[in-house]
Amino acid sequence: MKRTVLARTAAIAAAVLALGACSNGGPDPSEGSGQNGGVSYTDTPENGGTVYVLQNADFSYLDPARGFDGGVNNFYRLVYRTLTTPAPGNADDPSSIVPDLATDLGTPSEDGLTWTFTLKEGVRFQDGSPITSADVKFGISRAWDPELGIGSPYARQVIDAPEGYEGPYRSGPLETIETPDERTIVFHLREPYPEFGSVVAQNSFVPFPEGTGAGDEFIDEIISSGPYRLDSYTPGSSIRLVRNEEWDPETDDVREAYPDNWEFVIGLDAATIDERLLAGQGNDANAISLTIQPATLPRVQTPQLQERLKRMEGICQTYLGLNTTKEPLNDVRVRQAINLAVDRAAVQNASGGTQFADISTTILPRTVSGYRDYDLYPSEEHRGDQEAARALLEEAGYADGFDLTLDIRSQPKMQAQAEAIQQSLEPLGINVELNVIDVSSYYETIGTPALQNDAAITGWCPDWASSASTFLPPLFDGRGITDVGNPNLAQLNDENINARIDEIRAMTDLDAANEQWGLLDEEIMELSPIVPLAVESGITLPGENITGIYANPGSASGGIDFVLVGLRDPERG
Amino acid sequence: MTVLPTELEVVEKSAPPATAGGAPGGRSLRALVRDPGAALAGGYILLIVLMALFAPLIVRLSGWGPYEFDQQAIDPDLAGVPLGGWGGAGADHWFGVEPGSGRDIFARIVYGARVSMLIALSATALTTLLGVVLGMLAGYFGGRVDWVISRVMDFLMAFPALIFMIAILSALPAGNRSVMLVVVISLFGWPYLARVVRGQTMSLAQREFVEAARASGAGSATIVFREILPNLRSTIIVLTTLAVPGYIGTEAGLSFLGVGVVPPTPSWGQMIASSVNWYSVVPSYFAIPGAFLFLLVLSFTVLGDRLRAFLDPGGLR
Amino acid sequence: MARYLLARLSGVVLILVLVCLFTFTVFFVLSPDPAVQICGKNCNPELIERIRGNLGLDEPLFTQFTTFLGGLFAGRAYGTGEGAVECAAPCLGYSFQSSQPVWEMITERLPVTVTVAVGAAVLWLLAGVVGGLVGALRQGTWWDRGAMVIALSGLSIPNYVFALVLQYVLVVELEWLPFPQAVTLADDPALWFQSYLMPWIVLAFAYASVYARLTRANVIDTLEENFVRTARAKGLPRGQVIRRHALRPALTPVATIFGMDFAGLLGGALITEKVFGINGVGKMTADAIGRNDQPVIMGVTLLAAAFVVVGNVVVDLVYTALDPRVRLTVA
Repeated sequence: MKRTVLARTAAIAAAVLALGACSNGGPDPSEGSGQNGGVSYTDTPENGGTVYVLQNADFSYLDPARGFDGGVNNFYRLVYRTLTTPAPGNADDPSSIVPDLATDLGTPSEDGLTWTFTLKEGVRFQDGSPITSADVKFGISRAWDPELGIGSPYARQVIDAPEGYEGPYRSGPLETIETPDERTIVFHLREPYPEFGSVVAQNSFVPFPEGTGAGDEFIDEIISSGPYRLDSYTPGSSIRLVRNEEWDPETDDVREAYPDNWEFVIGLDAATIDERLLAGQGNDANAISLTIQPATLPRVQTPQLQERLKRMEGICQTYLGLNTTKEPLNDVRVRQAINLAVDRAAVQNASGGTQFADISTTILPRTVSGYRDYDLYPSEEHRGDQEAARALLEEAGYADGFDLTLDIRSQPKMQAQAEAIQQSLEPLGINVELNVIDVSSYYETIGTPALQNDAAITGWCPDWASSASTFLPPLFDGRGITDVGNPNLAQLNDENINARIDEIRAMTDLDAANEQWGLLDEEIMELSPIVPLAVESGITLPGENITGIYANPGSASGGIDFVLVGLRDPERG
Repeated sequence: MTVLPTELEVVEKSAPPATAGGAPGGRSLRALVRDPGAALAGGYILLIVLMALFAPLIVRLSGWGPYEFDQQAIDPDLAGVPLGGWGGAGADHWFGVEPGSGRDIFARIVYGARVSMLIALSATALTTLLGVVLGMLAGYFGGRVDWVISRVMDFLMAFPALIFMIAILSALPAGNRSVMLVVVISLFGWPYLARVVRGQTMSLAQREFVEAARASGAGSATIVFREILPNLRSTIIVLTTLAVPGYIGTEAGLSFLGVGVVPPTPSWGQMIASSVNWYSVVPSYFAIPGAFLFLLVLSFTVLGDRLRAFLDPGGLR
Repeated sequence: MARYLLARLSGVVLILVLVCLFTFTVFFVLSPDPAVQICGKNCNPELIERIRGNLGLDEPLFTQFTTFLGGLFAGRAYGTGEGAVECAAPCLGYSFQSSQPVWEMITERLPVTVTVAVGAAVLWLLAGVVGGLVGALRQGTWWDRGAMVIALSGLSIPNYVFALVLQYVLVVELEWLPFPQAVTLADDPALWFQSYLMPWIVLAFAYASVYARLTRANVIDTLEENFVRTARAKGLPRGQVIRRHALRPALTPVATIFGMDFAGLLGGALITEKVFGINGVGKMTADAIGRNDQPVIMGVTLLAAAFVVVGNVVVDLVYTALDPRVRLTVA
């Protein structure tokens, strides 16, 4: 349920707010965009010092039951631990899920309905009290609270719970999770879910001491289980983390936690951040940011600066959803014609050029397990094949084209992408009208089939990168079409596709399943419900004194994995 | 754009007095043409008007339409920066191209003139209509009518118009933005004209020729339109001319802030807004629309100033 | 005097209530359902209903308006029962974006905006009055023409264009100034001054131009007046005539519009702060526009209107102090 948009959510009492901003990144740290010089940004950092993170938007929520987006997930990793977690960015397979608080990835029962995890010894909260199975259970049960559980929906969807259960503060303990002893926790699922070991890595599985975290308690105060604890938080302006002395590195194979402190400087303009990183004065030598702006790239021309550039490949697909219920998009040939005609090179340029975006011909991004390379709608240099498209349109009886309303967000990059699409369809007589929708109501509008127009540009990120199961089913399972919050923009409801999804989902061999997801990707594209456009990447310009830069597809939507970052010289700055 | 209220306040203080009888027609016009500043300003305005009118023809001549992407003109490996110096300007693209898309800046300037002129002139027309009608009503009838209209004017003039315009435009769903821009700009613009018209109508209503018309049995409508309106002509011309630059600036400013016309329609304000990120790499990208906008506002201001001086020799100069 | 003040104050309150009504209408009646916007992407009909209940959107419009007013002056509670959140007066609601109270967001950033505004005001008063005086006293010379051409440019160049030109020339080309940074006066006075210099100039330019033109016209007018001619005829030196007799009446109108302009400065600060990335109320508003964060836009709108309305009263009071010819009357 994650989009390229970070959920920036906020609470007015019981009210729930959600909005978006873009997040990007990618997993191959060796792929620098500049010439490879002498300095490596993957050197092992020293212990100590303060790492600064310069960013524009504040994190959505400090409460992990509420926050659910690429940006905040990465932050959570510094202060929270879960039963399992995405592997560190320098792992052999950074897309994989590894044990964290638990000793392994969980043991399913014969029927796949019961999963058992065992907690490591020596894991503690920031106050020194041990993290017990009861704390894990309590933390998870918060996900059922109607006001708090607005983040990751997986716990509620997968774990069996009594009818009408509304979290620990209203309905008491969640009896369906068993804690036979302090270190053992047993989950009962609604249906078998072979990837449950990945589900428990979700934010909503963070443990908390029983009875804490009611209402807005965790809005500006948290209880840490990770290597850092909150020192101070000024919403919209700064977050300061200091070492959590109770965290035992012996129990943690994921987090290196080199620096003593983290300081998040929030509310800076993207342009200001870039200027500061380019100049690298004082503390800014110890600073990192999500990505530079495209306009900054041409300014990075000295060899020293070029060396610092690191490209972080994204894990989110930006695509054009075609509403298959609308005339003439209900004709597969018309949809295929659009897929053929769209000038992906122009869209790529609109997204910031080759460095900031990779052209997509498949639904799955390269960085998500299960990806398989193919191109059903090829054209020279991805410029679009007008001839082939025209032939298909003629065959479908639309030789003179038609009118098409394209929903877009009032955001410059998306507008540029939309204008590129508009231009490439114009020669076919397809008259694209751009329907600009406010940022705040965009996803609400396009996710409501009754309000949705012919097409919309949007993005999708997997909830874990180790499989395509959080990518293809939500977007293309026809039985998941809902009246509001509908992710299946194409409203594709194809029996064969639905059956294939069920078949692959039931597979317990995850590698074999991924192979099948890759095949399904192409089967879906034959129906052309969407036009994959680009996988957008970030380019980061870390400060000179920063090292340990690795991307992480799982925890950071492809951005820098915070838990590996540190300083070359902690005395500097 | 922020100077709009203050500047009009100054204008108001020096608005030409209502001159009874003969309008200062041909003499002033000739003097105006001979004034180098006014002639230059008028010439530039004429140029922009012609540009707006014949945009499609001009663009055919220059070779690139305002929406056409030119991937050859930009460097995809450097975030789409225009190839070549001066923002990619040359024989192919006279003013260079837009980073990221390679769209022709000359064509977008030409088409942007359409948006600027259309919105500013429509807003001026609507403002003038509202200002003159309501101002005359208040001034002629006085009493309760005057009280109501005056209070509404006070209310509308009491506020930072820019912030209110933004508030309205951002709250309403983005439908037909051009029409909304005109309506919103006019809503906050008419009181400045109406206030002057009201004052002058009041004094004119006391004059002998109006008394005479009234005595000879003319109705209110006849008096207002036959006797008073012609005498307000020079006031209206001057105030209107001086209002246009404010509206051009306001439209561009609102587009700059993202509540103006909807893409892909080119607008100068929007072009400048998208150039902000690129200002240090491609300075011509902000300099060209900036210069066109500046010169247009300047021309209207100069023309208005000169008009005022010629129509009202006893005024500010 | 007391009666006048009372009348003015009641007028202020009336106008503020009208402003509230206007803002309320725009944001709650005309705009698309705020509950839907708040609800965001994890939305369902149940959630919308609950948000509507919490925001009081299910009440009749008039009740909503009185609650809104009540929140402004006495604070209000969102929601009922355990989940209720107390919003202290003046309650402007919570940002859709950051869930912070809007009032807090404004007060946090106001010092920065005041710094920008005060610096600009000093600059434009100085430049405007000096420029106008030079023009008036050296009427018809190159000094006069130069000052008026600059003033005309100042009136005509949109401040965002001027900001970009200035930044390009001073920061990128000449490298005389660093890129503006968010430092406080106490931390680094030199850098603080350098960082605020461009915003001050940009914000001041247009106003300085208006003031120069106004001052010039007023001084020329005053010098023509009888009492000044009399003073000169009595043989007083020119400098003394100007200082003693002409300056005060000539500058009184300037003082008047200065109060109004200063109170209405938030509009100009919006663009200036946005272009230079200064974290004040203006940039916050510009960002809120981009994200359609309506409670923030609404809060700033109300605040800006309040400034102007109160500024009006202050100006009138100061005006009477400056110009004895003006008497306070209840209109």
